[in-house]
Amino acid sequence: MKTGTRYLTAWMGGGVASLLCALSSSGGEEFAFFEKEIRPILVEHCYECHANDTAQKGGLVLDSREGWIVGGDSGPALVPWDAAGSLLIEAVRYDTPHLEMPPKTRLPATKIAALERWVAMGAPDPREGKVEKAASGMSVEEGRGFWSYRPLSDPALPSVKDVDWPANGIDRFLLARMEAEGVAPAALAAPEAALRRLHFDLAGLPPTPEEIAAFLADPSEEEWRREVDRLLASPRFGERWGRHWLDVARFGESYTLRGLILREAWRYRDYVVEAFNRDLPYDQFLREQIAGDLMPSDAPLRERQRRFVATSFLALGNHNLEEQDKRQLDLDIVDEQLDTLGKALLGQTLGCARCHDHKFDPVPTRDYHALAGILASTVSLSHSNVSSWLDLPLPLDVEEEARVAEQESRLAALEAALKEAEKVREQAVAADPARASSSRPEIVAADDLPGFVVDDTEAEKVGDWKPSVLTKTYVGEGYLHDNNEGKGLKTLSFVARVPKAGRYEVRLAWAPGAGRAASIPIMISSAEGDFPLRIDQSGTPPVEGRFTSLGEYRFETNGANFVLISNEGTEGYVVADAVQFLPVGQVETPVNVTSETRDDETAKRRSEAIAEVARIKKEIAALKEVGPSRPKYLGVKEAEKPADLPVLARGLVHNPTGDPVPRGFLQVAMHAGETAPAIPSDRSGRLELAGWIASPENPLTARVFVNRAWHWMFGRGLVRTTDNFGTTGEAPSHPELLDWLARRFVEEGWSVKRLVREIALTKAYRLAAPGDESPWLEADPENRLFARAPRRRIEAEAMRDAILFASGQLDATAGGPTIRPGAANDYTYRQDSLRRSLYLPALRNAPHELLEAFNMADPSRTTGRRDLGTVAPQALFLLNHPFVLEQADAAAKRVLAEGTCDESRLELATLRVLGRAPLPTERAIASSLLTSMPQAEEEAWSTIFQGLFASLDFRYLE
Amino acid sequence: MNRRHFLHSVSCGFGGLAFSALVQDAAASVLASRQPVLPARAKRVIFLFMQGGPSHVDTFDHKPELIRRDGEMADFHDARKIANSGVNAASAQRLMAPKWDFSPYGKCGRQVSSLFPEVARHVDDLCFIHSMHTEGIAHGPATLFLHTGATNFVRPSMGSWITYGLGSESRNLPGFVTIGPSTGNGGARNYGSAFLPPVYQGTPLGRADAPAAQAAIRNIGHPDLSPEQRRRRFDFIQAMNEAQRAKRPGDAEFEAAVASYELAWRIQSHAPEATDLSKESAETRELYGIRDGAPTEDFGRKCLLARRLCESGVRFVQVTYGDNTANPAWDQHANLPKHADHALAVDRPIAGLLEDLKRRGLLEDTIVWFGSEFGRTPYAQGNGTGRDHNPKGFTTWLAGGGFKPGFAHGATDEFGFMAVQDKVHMHDLHATILHQLGLDHERLTYRHDGRDFRLTDVHGHVVREVLA
Repeated sequence: MKTGTRYLTAWMGGGVASLLCALSSSGGEEFAFFEKEIRPILVEHCYECHANDTAQKGGLVLDSREGWIVGGDSGPALVPWDAAGSLLIEAVRYDTPHLEMPPKTRLPATKIAALERWVAMGAPDPREGKVEKAASGMSVEEGRGFWSYRPLSDPALPSVKDVDWPANGIDRFLLARMEAEGVAPAALAAPEAALRRLHFDLAGLPPTPEEIAAFLADPSEEEWRREVDRLLASPRFGERWGRHWLDVARFGESYTLRGLILREAWRYRDYVVEAFNRDLPYDQFLREQIAGDLMPSDAPLRERQRRFVATSFLALGNHNLEEQDKRQLDLDIVDEQLDTLGKALLGQTLGCARCHDHKFDPVPTRDYHALAGILASTVSLSHSNVSSWLDLPLPLDVEEEARVAEQESRLAALEAALKEAEKVREQAVAADPARASSSRPEIVAADDLPGFVVDDTEAEKVGDWKPSVLTKTYVGEGYLHDNNEGKGLKTLSFVARVPKAGRYEVRLAWAPGAGRAASIPIMISSAEGDFPLRIDQSGTPPVEGRFTSLGEYRFETNGANFVLISNEGTEGYVVADAVQFLPVGQVETPVNVTSETRDDETAKRRSEAIAEVARIKKEIAALKEVGPSRPKYLGVKEAEKPADLPVLARGLVHNPTGDPVPRGFLQVAMHAGETAPAIPSDRSGRLELAGWIASPENPLTARVFVNRAWHWMFGRGLVRTTDNFGTTGEAPSHPELLDWLARRFVEEGWSVKRLVREIALTKAYRLAAPGDESPWLEADPENRLFARAPRRRIEAEAMRDAILFASGQLDATAGGPTIRPGAANDYTYRQDSLRRSLYLPALRNAPHELLEAFNMADPSRTTGRRDLGTVAPQALFLLNHPFVLEQADAAAKRVLAEGTCDESRLELATLRVLGRAPLPTERAIASSLLTSMPQAEEEAWSTIFQGLFASLDFRYLE
Repeated sequence: MNRRHFLHSVSCGFGGLAFSALVQDAAASVLASRQPVLPARAKRVIFLFMQGGPSHVDTFDHKPELIRRDGEMADFHDARKIANSGVNAASAQRLMAPKWDFSPYGKCGRQVSSLFPEVARHVDDLCFIHSMHTEGIAHGPATLFLHTGATNFVRPSMGSWITYGLGSESRNLPGFVTIGPSTGNGGARNYGSAFLPPVYQGTPLGRADAPAAQAAIRNIGHPDLSPEQRRRRFDFIQAMNEAQRAKRPGDAEFEAAVASYELAWRIQSHAPEATDLSKESAETRELYGIRDGAPTEDFGRKCLLARRLCESGVRFVQVTYGDNTANPAWDQHANLPKHADHALAVDRPIAGLLEDLKRRGLLEDTIVWFGSEFGRTPYAQGNGTGRDHNPKGFTTWLAGGGFKPGFAHGATDEFGFMAVQDKVHMHDLHATILHQLGLDHERLTYRHDGRDFRLTDVHGHVVREVLA
């Protein structure tokens, strides 16, 4: 089909017109065939979806000759005179997945034959008529004039009437707009409300009672400024803003499917926290995440390590490792990476251009494939039945390298010794006459072997398998063989009901002899997937003279665990005796031989050799336990052969149309006089992509980030659709302010802390949040003017941290791996850590229940805005969840131990939970509760704390 | 204002706008029952999910040619081999006849194997689709596709779409409940609302790895809290909220939050009753096979729970027969005879459910959907004693809800490998079920990331031939 398509493209040369001419010269008899046989088929089976006035599915119309010549998304529909090379014929034959037409029911064979004949005779077709293609979205040229793609403007500070109000430039822009709309700003919030807001926004934690008291004693401008600077300098800032970035980076530490755990992802989380804490310039931050592994290598080692870890960003997607079509999987990963890069860094929904030109935005599908070529030239997975991610070695300094190298060389020496010992063992076993002598058979009962053994008697048989006891080396009652007959008709399945989930070494026991097959197909089905391999039975069994090891696999107690032995394509006898499943790590015990104890030299050598192998294995395990092991990071690497991608119609990998698209960037975001960085042919282009995105010239990058920062400070962006700066997103409420902020951000060295500081010091940030009946509701119902503070819900992480803060249980340890070492998958993981929520294992199948209930970011996609739905399960959580009840108990005990009277205790309680003194009504409610149950102080205080945790003023920031 | 715009503004409305309708009972009114856009034949769905892929040629798709040519080699385009190799080539496979005999049942005379003798008695109520095909060769992708119409991880589940479209008929219970869901193969993704507002996510009732007798909705109580404590704590919370709300009268979001506690209280008061099977008669329990220690007990309980939830107004109930492993329940790669255990466990409960719904007149407007993520190959896997996954052709059946009773639509080839006649893609099945509920799958959209999403993506046709 592909050859045919290319042939036609080359052959057409002069284009559609000349082909039309060539085909018009067909004779009347051929047209008659068309009218009689072909047109009825097309009308009945194809027009419904493929005609000018119907759906034009796949961009193809078949109601004119030009229709199939021009073709659809997959190229011309047929090649005259070449039935085999014609898509239409391939489709009606139903031979190719995703290319089966008509989609509902296969045509009768006679109709398929008629179509084949028609194409073979040159596809004579009298139908005139033009193809009327449906119009697509905005052109690239038009797009360059759209607000988000225009170069950053340089707006002057506007003049305002009330010159005293603005605290800085940002306030000037906001006030100018308010004055133009005739809306006055609200009053400043109460100092304790403003302080609570600031602490949650910059540190993700409430202020302590002491901090509240200190600020209330001097709520001046200078003190506010000092408070902002203190919080920016605190390590809590990186934890708070790092978590924001992890939302955008769809950070997760396991995969949904199979619950596989990403052991090294924590390094990326720590990298992000550190980047915000040290105020790594944002452009550098992006460059490292896209191409940190490709940046110049003369930087100090710690820097280089950081940069390698940064590339986890590309590898964190929640991929479908089970996809069996690995080419398709590769491109699905590229799509996921582009989708993330697009939304997170550029505010673009690039995924829409995977299958066709973007319907709304000026992004042609060629641009998508130009970018996709870069990521397709980057390796993110290594493939097998269930593919796996890449844990790559981190570079080390000389000293560390020496230590690790020493460990590795010791291990290598032991491995070599093990190999040698195994050889000795093999010889010793072979030399022992016991195994060949019929008088002293080496027959062992299945129960005497370590691990879990499935004997041949328990195997499920297909075909005729002969039992035998001829060779006296077997388990149980004998072994089976295929009698060297019925090749391809016989199989044995050894189903393992393993007693415990875990990793097992699988060994096949078989009896040696003359005429055994040398290449026997075996399949092991495990929790990790199905693994085919071949074994050789022409010599002696390599392990203990009895087994061939089939490798190590993970099995679940309830899974489809089995070893399937087939005689397909074998030459010689296929033999099977038993299958042994040895838990990995269990010390090997020598076989108990059922024959009488032998005291001769050969037997002694034999048992010594077996013991030696066991000893070395034990030593290896012990050494590995002690370490050090080479540190790894989750990353990506350059492909060996970088290459451009052709456009893949409808996003299907097996559907290439036309020539490869040179790797490159979005045309719409490049303006006159700008030249895109050239991509060397032997490189993926990631480094250049990083440079293009993190460039002051890129109109999207700085705009998108300053808007995110605004959103994280105010709860909504100047552009409310934080991840969509395309034509279907919202326009900015204050376009000049957005550009002014973006320009200053770039000019001030992309410093996130300076940007946050600037916003925190505005008056606008400190405004009160009056109720909805206030005059602002009518004038500005959606609060687009920022003339009052929005009331905001605290995020799930901050909520949990604040509860632990109030109960005194919060473990403030920073960084490091946090997933329990033994966990094989995440399905039943217990989230019982008391550390900050940021450090809870970010498991995609087992998130902390509080985070799940309160709308944590979806760890599978970029989340610039959290969902703010208020639903009953949240209330149920606060009413009944053990976490809430336990923390309420702990907080009650704490306050009972500290306070001297109920009055002071209540004061302490509301300061800790609500960041303010109790309201008179709250005092009344609490004291009536306390007096109603004088005998149950702890229960009363636990009730009070639960009530505070569930209350509006805790859950919301004013 | 059309449905989508209404809902869209509602979901934004929580952020700042005052909606008088929401002020009363926010969560409940978003979920309030709504009139569908098309004439509806059904009001609710019970989806019996047979996890792992039951073999259609051993259950409901009778293939005499496969029986006749048992053991012979034949060429097939094996989906797994093609995907692995990237080469679209046929390979020789050994045909394996069904392990169970088929017999005709009912007035319609449809053939059912001896695995499902009880369901077979209801064959005149069933509408078979023998020409199903879907996406995904492995369990994970195919299971996600079955539930969300996509193999990635960020699409709403079908139950969420339906609840979004129709709301719930219950003031006291969620609109979408999933009984005994598996944590494997997509887990919560299979009942998640993704980008739809979270009020539409499925509420799990129990887990796949725990007995149905212990199934409960999460957080509807705590064993350490006495009824008095619960009442006192609830009253205290609401008193605090009233005190704090007084500072900001008329704040819609605060009102919504307070209302969510009221709804939570009603759920925790009513859900235990809705899930309490002790009031069911001995005769009813027997109908579902609920007897201590019987193989049918667990799934019987789940099916009876489904009926009770439907009676209480829940819109979409999924009942999963499966487990949490990577090779769930019906996944017999090596040991096909094990199908008999699974069939035994579900056959009577399903027949009981059909009977019970019928007696109560509920089958009229309830769609009972029996299905799986895919079927199995008519040939032995690797020449062994089991069958591999088969997304290219399999059977599903529907009962009630305006589907043609005693009817069969579509066909696989002579062996049961590929759907070849009147093919029905999973998208088509989704579209058809939505249609019966009065929802147009092309118009039930939600704007997200700059475009309108739907359950059926850009595909799907209503299969009118199966509609009564």
